[in-house]
Amino acid sequence: MATELTAPELWQPFEPGVDGQWDLVAAAHLFRRAGFGATRQQLEVAVRKSPLQVIDELLDGQEPPEYRSEMQTLATAAISGGSVAPLSAWWVYRILSTPLQLLEKTVVFWHGHFATGADKVTDPQLMLTQNQVLRRLAFADFHELVQQISKDPAMLLYLDSASNRKAHPNENFARELMELFCLGEGQYTEQDIRELARCFTGWEVRRGEFRFNRFQHDTGQRSFLGATGVLSGEEAVQVVLRQPQTAEFIVGKLLRYFLMDEPAGQAELVAPLAQQFRDGGLQIRPLLRTMLGSRLFFSRQCVGRKLKSPVELTLGLLRCLEGSTNAVELAQALQQLGQGLLYPPSVKGWDGGRTWINSSTLLGRSNLMRRLITSETTRFGRLSLRDFLSARGLQKPEDMLSELQLLLFAVPIPVTARESIVALMKSGSDAAVAEGLHALCTLPEFQLC
Amino acid sequence: MRLDRRGFLQQVATGSAVLSFGGLVPLPLLASAEKTRAERILVVIELQGGNDGLNTVIPVADPLYRRRRPTLAIPQPDVLPVADGMGFHPALRGFADLLEAGQLAVVQQVGYPQPNRSHFESMDIWHTCLRKDQQRPDGWLGRWAERLQGVGGDAAALHLGPEKLPFALMSRSVRVPSVRSLEEFRLRGAEDQTFREAVQSLAEAKRAEPDDLLNFVASSTASALTASERLATAAKVAATDVVWPQSGLAERLRTVSQLIRSGLQTSVYYVTLGGFDTHAQQPDAHRGLLRQLSEAVQALLSELRGSGDLQRTTVMAFSEFGRRVEENASEGTDHGTAGPMFLAGGSVRAGLHGKRPDLTNLQDGDLQFSTDFREVYAALLERWLKVDSAEILHQRFSPPDLFTV
Repeated sequence: MATELTAPELWQPFEPGVDGQWDLVAAAHLFRRAGFGATRQQLEVAVRKSPLQVIDELLDGQEPPEYRSEMQTLATAAISGGSVAPLSAWWVYRILSTPLQLLEKTVVFWHGHFATGADKVTDPQLMLTQNQVLRRLAFADFHELVQQISKDPAMLLYLDSASNRKAHPNENFARELMELFCLGEGQYTEQDIRELARCFTGWEVRRGEFRFNRFQHDTGQRSFLGATGVLSGEEAVQVVLRQPQTAEFIVGKLLRYFLMDEPAGQAELVAPLAQQFRDGGLQIRPLLRTMLGSRLFFSRQCVGRKLKSPVELTLGLLRCLEGSTNAVELAQALQQLGQGLLYPPSVKGWDGGRTWINSSTLLGRSNLMRRLITSETTRFGRLSLRDFLSARGLQKPEDMLSELQLLLFAVPIPVTARESIVALMKSGSDAAVAEGLHALCTLPEFQLC
Repeated sequence: MRLDRRGFLQQVATGSAVLSFGGLVPLPLLASAEKTRAERILVVIELQGGNDGLNTVIPVADPLYRRRRPTLAIPQPDVLPVADGMGFHPALRGFADLLEAGQLAVVQQVGYPQPNRSHFESMDIWHTCLRKDQQRPDGWLGRWAERLQGVGGDAAALHLGPEKLPFALMSRSVRVPSVRSLEEFRLRGAEDQTFREAVQSLAEAKRAEPDDLLNFVASSTASALTASERLATAAKVAATDVVWPQSGLAERLRTVSQLIRSGLQTSVYYVTLGGFDTHAQQPDAHRGLLRQLSEAVQALLSELRGSGDLQRTTVMAFSEFGRRVEENASEGTDHGTAGPMFLAGGSVRAGLHGKRPDLTNLQDGDLQFSTDFREVYAALLERWLKVDSAEILHQRFSPPDLFTV
C-alpha cells in the first residue's frame, strides 16, 4: 500500500490493482481470516471473482438443507450420552466440514465473547442451545444477540443469575454484561452494577428453560448509566446497549479478532467504524463486510499480524489440504492447547494474541501437528500426504514447499529453513514428506496468519 | 472435504481415549551447567476468583461477622483458633499445623487503594502493580527476572499449569517458560537428530524483516526447546515417601518440589488454583478449595524439609480480592476488596501480621485494606530475593518484617 492513509481511508473498499494484487496469495489471506483456510481449487475460483463478491458469498451463503439436517442429527447423537465432550467434537467436525467458514469463525468469536463453560454448565443440551443461538444471530442485530444471551439458560447458570433473588441480587451477570459483553472495564461504576443487578432479579432457569419469577423480581425504582425507573431486565439491556461505548468496544474486539492482534492507534482505527456500527443500529453483517473488504484488511499492517489460535492452526491445515481426522481426539487436543471449544478458560473467553504462545503451547502445537500429520486417521483428500501432493503434480520437495507456502503461510519461509526442510524431505517417502510438513509447522512463521 | 457420518459417530462413541502421543524417547541428556543452586526460592500460588478472606481467616469473636453472614458464618466451635479472636476455616487444618510449627505467616487485610472489583482488572493490578490507564507491558516478576538475565543456564522463573502465562511473569525481554506437565514438555520427533537440529536451527534462524510478533514467537520457540531439554534431566530426581494428596494443585506443587530438589537454578515457581468466585452455594466449594490449598502446601513443605530445602523456600498465596462482607441470597458472596495473604516456609516469621478485619468500618459494604500488597511484594523482593524493589514496584514501599533471616 502507498503512503500513510487516514483511518477512514483505510476502511474504504480494497481496490484490486490500485491497493494491491487480487491474486492467489491475497485470496489465501482472505480465507485464512474470514474462515480457516482454503484449498487451491477454492482459491482459483475466488480470484476469478472480485474480493467483495467472495466476501458477500461468505456472509450470505446458506448451508444446504441436507447439510443442516445432518449436523442436527449428529448433534442429537453427540448430546445423547449426557456429557458435553462429544458436542465439542461435533463442533470441531462442523468447522472442518462447513461450506460457510465465516459463519463458524464468527460463532467461535461470539462463543469467546459470551463465554460460557461446560465445566460449570454440564448439560450438553443447554450448551447446544446456546451454540445455536450464536449461529443464528452471528451476523444479525447485536441488540437481539445480547437480549437472547441474557435469557439463555446456559449463560444464566454460568453466571449464577439463576439464583438471583429480590432480597439480595446476585451481581455476577450485571457486572459481566457491562464489563465483558457490552462496554468494557471502567465504563460504569460499582453503583451501576448494584442497581443493574436489581433489574435481573427473578430471572431463573426451570427445567432447562428461562423463566421470569415475578415474586422474586425487585419492583422498586433503580438508577444506572443515567437511566432511572422501574426498568425490566430487557429494558436494562437496552440502556446498556444505548451507551456509545458499546460500538467502540465491539468494533475493537472484532478488529483484533479478524484483522490484527496489536493494532497501532486502535482508537483512531475504531472510531469511524464504531460510528458506522451505531448509525446502522448495531447490525453485525455490514460491519464485517466493511472490515473484511477494506484496504486495511489486505494491507501489510494486517497480513501476518495475527497469531493463530489452536483452532486456526489445526483446522486451518486440514481445510487447506482437504484433510479429515478424528474429531474427538482433535477436540481434546484443542483443550490441551488452551482452546477447548465449549470450555473457555473463564467468563472473559480467550485473550488471543500473544497469550496463545508460551513454551508449553509451542511444544504442544508442534507435537499436535506431528500427531495430526502422522495419525492413521488423518487423510488428505482421502490419501496420504505424499500421494495427495503428488496427485497434484507435486513430486519434488521444492515444488511441494512452494505449494505449502501459498496455502499455509502468511509470511515467507526463511531461505535457510527452506533448505533444511528440503533436505528432510529428500527421500520422498511418506515419512519424509510428513517429517518435512511437521518441521514446517514448527516454524515460528507458521504460527502467524 | 469428505468426512463420513458413520466415522464421526464411531469417533464419538469410542472417544474416551485420551490423545496419546505415544512412543516417547527421552531427549539425550544435556550436560548440565555447573550446578550452582538457586539460593532462595519463591513459590507463588494464585487463588483465582476472589477468595472469601472473611471465611478463611475468621474474626470468630466478632458478633458483626455472624450478623452479616447468617447462613455462611462458620460455627464458632468448628473454627480452628489462632489468636486474638481470629481463627482458621476448619478445612485449613494443614495451615494450623504449619502455624504451630512456626512455618506460616498470615498478612491480614491486604489490598490497595481505590479497589477494583473486576476479576481481570484487579488481577492485572496485582500482577503489574499498575492501573489500567498506565502502560502495562510486563508484570512484577517479569521485571524481577529481567534483572537476573545471564545468571546461570536455567530460567529465572517457571510457570506450571495448563492456563496461559500469568501476566506477573511477562517481560519485554525474558521469556518465562510455561510448563503444563513435565511429560508433555518435550518435542516429539526430536529423538531424530537431523530433525532436532533442523528445528533448532529454524527457531534460531535470522529473520530478514524484524517483526515484533514474529520475533516474539521465534525467541519463545528457542527458549522452549532449551527448557525442555533441561527439564527432561531435572525430572529424573528420585521420589520420596511423602504422601501427596490427590488434587490438581498438589500435582503441580509436586512437580515444583521435584524441580527444586533436582537443583534446578530457577528461583520463582508460579502455579494457580481457580474456583474461588463463589457467588452461589459457597460452603462446599470453598471448603474443598481451602483444604486443597492447605494440604498441598503442607505436603510440599514436608517434602522440602526432608531434602533440606525448607529454609530456602517461601510459598506465597494471594487472591485478586476478598468478598463482600454481607452474604447474598444464593448462599454466596459477591466481589469485595481486602483479604489475607499467606507466606509459608522455613524462614518466615510465623503468626498473624497486619490489622485484623474491622467490620465496623466498611466502605460500600466492603472491608478496608490495612497493608498494601506491594508492601508484601517489597518484603519478598528485598528481604527474600535480595533485590531492590523500588524499580520493580514502580514505587518505594517499606517492607513489613515477615522473615526471620
